[in-house]
Amino acid sequence: MKRIALVFLLAAGFMRPALLMPVAAAQQTRAASRTRTAVEFLASDRLEGRDTGSPGERLAGDYIAMQLARVGAKPLPGHRDMFMPFEFTAGTRDGGSNLTMRGGGGASKAFRGTEQIQALSFSDDATVNGPVVFAGYGLVVPESAGLGYDSYAGIDVKDKIALVLHYFPEDADAKTKAALARYSDLRYKALNARQRGAKGLLIVTGPRSPNAGQTIRMTSDTALSGSGIPAATISGAVANALFEGAPKTLAAAQQELDSGNPHVAGFALPAQVDVTTKVVREKQTGRNVVAYLPAANPTADRPWLIIGAHYDHLGHGTRGTSLANKDEAGQIHHGADDNASGSAAVLAIAEKLSKTPMRRNVMFTLWSGEEIGLVGSSAFVMNPPVPLNQVAAYINFDMVGRMQNNKLAADGVGSSPIWARILERANVAAGFDLAANADPYQPTDSSNFNQSGLPTLFFTTGSHPDYHRPSDTADKIDYEDLDRIVDFAAAVIQGVANTDMAPQFTKVDPPQTGATLAGVRVTTGTIPDYTTEAKGLLLAGVVGGGPAEKAGLMKGDVIVEIAGQSITNIYDYTFALELLKADTPVKVVFMRGAERHEVQLTPTGRR
Amino acid sequence: MKRLIFAGVGVAALATALAAQTTPSHEADFLTRIRRLTVEGRRAGEGYWAPDGKRLVFQSEREPGNPFYQIYALDLTTGDTKRISPGYGKTTCSFFRPGSDEIEFASTHHDPKSKQYQQEELDFRASGKTRRYSWDYDPEFEIYSYAEKSGTYKRLTNARGYDAEGSYSPDGQWIVFTSMRDAYNRTLSAEEQKQLEIDPSYFAEIYIMRADGSGQKRLTTVPGYDGGPFFSPDGKRIIWRRFDTSGLIANVFTMNPDGSDVRQITDFGAMSWAPYIHPSGQYILFASNKLGFENFEIYMVDIDGKKEPVRITYADGFDGLPVPSPDGTQLAWTSTRGGLTDGQIFLAQWNHEKALAALKAAPLRVRVR
Repeated sequence: MKRIALVFLLAAGFMRPALLMPVAAAQQTRAASRTRTAVEFLASDRLEGRDTGSPGERLAGDYIAMQLARVGAKPLPGHRDMFMPFEFTAGTRDGGSNLTMRGGGGASKAFRGTEQIQALSFSDDATVNGPVVFAGYGLVVPESAGLGYDSYAGIDVKDKIALVLHYFPEDADAKTKAALARYSDLRYKALNARQRGAKGLLIVTGPRSPNAGQTIRMTSDTALSGSGIPAATISGAVANALFEGAPKTLAAAQQELDSGNPHVAGFALPAQVDVTTKVVREKQTGRNVVAYLPAANPTADRPWLIIGAHYDHLGHGTRGTSLANKDEAGQIHHGADDNASGSAAVLAIAEKLSKTPMRRNVMFTLWSGEEIGLVGSSAFVMNPPVPLNQVAAYINFDMVGRMQNNKLAADGVGSSPIWARILERANVAAGFDLAANADPYQPTDSSNFNQSGLPTLFFTTGSHPDYHRPSDTADKIDYEDLDRIVDFAAAVIQGVANTDMAPQFTKVDPPQTGATLAGVRVTTGTIPDYTTEAKGLLLAGVVGGGPAEKAGLMKGDVIVEIAGQSITNIYDYTFALELLKADTPVKVVFMRGAERHEVQLTPTGRR
Repeated sequence: MKRLIFAGVGVAALATALAAQTTPSHEADFLTRIRRLTVEGRRAGEGYWAPDGKRLVFQSEREPGNPFYQIYALDLTTGDTKRISPGYGKTTCSFFRPGSDEIEFASTHHDPKSKQYQQEELDFRASGKTRRYSWDYDPEFEIYSYAEKSGTYKRLTNARGYDAEGSYSPDGQWIVFTSMRDAYNRTLSAEEQKQLEIDPSYFAEIYIMRADGSGQKRLTTVPGYDGGPFFSPDGKRIIWRRFDTSGLIANVFTMNPDGSDVRQITDFGAMSWAPYIHPSGQYILFASNKLGFENFEIYMVDIDGKKEPVRITYADGFDGLPVPSPDGTQLAWTSTRGGLTDGQIFLAQWNHEKALAALKAAPLRVRVR
């Protein structure tokens, strides 16, 4: 699963050694399982964590294609083989961005090196020059969001270089902060600057913000091209140099802005600058594996059905979404649950369905590039080999190998009225404690299909302490229950594969709060449980040594309030996190069983 | 819902109810492999087993156009579900007739206004307004039997006033049920008339009739809602719940099928209702809000009520309407566990041996009065 949990987890240094491995899985009989062989192969050291574009990923793809061929699945009509390659940006680094300042006195200062200036990952490559205008936090919030806030009001940045602060006003009241945080994403700030006619954008982390004065780390960005404006982050020292001779210092300007008063305006700086930005994007190729079982006598109404899972994982965890602790850093991230389990399930389902005549062509899609931003499935949806209006539904499996208490989550049930009926019927025999969640907006490949207007269903057994760590290994997979999921899902799939009418699509409104990662600057070290609908945030675990563990929270606790914000779901939680400050203790109210507790939790900064 | 009277499972009140509980869960002692059975539709409840244990008949709101319960039978082997009731009007309280292809339930579908009421309720929902849940004792409710082979309905009652909550005797020859006909078949005093307007359930009494609807006879005469009657597995007793006149306190009672030898089983001073006798005949499962007004949990008590009841469920929200399978190894019940807004039917394996042991270990009940 792609890391939505990123927000809640802590950087490597705070983790403990791996937890004791459960013994139950090891006691299961090897021969009986229909999924064990595939999981063990895909999660083996030989595949080195199946990083998208790596030799291990190619090997995994070859294995999957072979297994699909073995059960009689064929390449799509018009395709010679089962591989559908896609290009992606494997990594970005600064390619020597620099800034030269020409002050009023004629003296010029040059800055280079990523400690002083570094392009943002989505920057265009360009050289621009002109006067610098300080535009506050560079925020533009539409009136429709309930708060009028425009950092560009009353100042002119056209054909100039805009300099803005990172984040949003530090001292504003919670409600204002919440509104502003939504619009503080760096890409959005770049868009605003471009729309106001700025030639370039410089961003500094102000002296009153977390990580003050440091250039912003270049995040992995899988976009293949720039965002239409040169954009770079500069150090506090560079910003101070640009402020020389200005009516006030950067620190004083930030302090004024931090009240949240929308009428505090920016101003022109005396400096002229030449800015050169360069981002080096390393392009690589990943491969989706796609095959199908043809229907004997296809229905006319949307004769295709797609069953998918991603097979890529994090390799050695060097791309930044690893949660490995210090001792584990750089080791193979085996990804047995994430998502050898889902891949093995899809293969076993293909085998099962190959023995049954069906009225829809069933396409099996094993995605790569999921962990780096759903890239493989996005490429598929952008350029589908079969028109998507011929596809009845998409069913996804991501992390289905670590069942606890017989609990299986089915997400996206709201995307079609057919799902509840089919799930209820199939589960009578299967007997899972099924958590049917309406929400189709999940951080996995099915969201690409939901956005294309297809009914989607996503099965998962949820997160656990080995998530995105080298310790997500094949011996911890619950094969018996994984096989049960295969049988259950095959019955669900047959419910769609054998109807004349395609399921109707229902658009589910996106969650109201729509919180994003943009404004979250802190971590609390909590691992949310996505499989259970609780009134609050149910914890699947806490990060060892993280703020949550230090505060005494543990697996099974349900957070119902944080910093005075009531929490009813994960979106509320993300939203509340936006408002927290690093190293500032807040009150957390949680339920442990039936008891209500209050603790102080001190979030730590996130970089 | 029928054998259920109370005013709704308010999610808002959950936190308070939660805070009131401090006991560690012993649910796994009695219930294992708990799982949600019904998924489709807005709500479902009151699942009753076929005598062979292979099907469950229940009420659910799951078809577009009707915001009221209809009756469905679920095949526990294939997962297939079919509607038993006609599809329009309000229905509730179904039960399989032993030794027959008949299923009884209560319905208002003969009411010419039933479809109008459906539209009114849909319009009300569409308006975005909400009301506190309350069961509607529509005086049009009458008891029907449905013959599955012929697909025909037979009306068994014909008295103005809510007739519902029916269940068959183990030999399939009798139906015991609840009726509010007493409020309509005589002249009420001014005080009684006022009571009828506030809460008609005050007039509910237990009745018995033959399976063909003949020989209808009243069994109880105490003011306050008498309802939810079932036969014991040997057919020799009837178990039901009796409310006091305030409608807030209910207790489980048993009596002979002729109305004699009434015995009180529970005494929590709370709302204890929806009793059902385990097929072993040794103990009774029931629901009570002893731990908080809107926090219903399932309990069990020995058949004579001599000992302190033992708590079975420990989940957030509503747990009630427990019905053991005919072989005594499973339990079906209605619950909002897992954060549900409305009830659905849940199923679990029932540990009869542990239940017996726990009942044996339970202390004798301390009589308050």
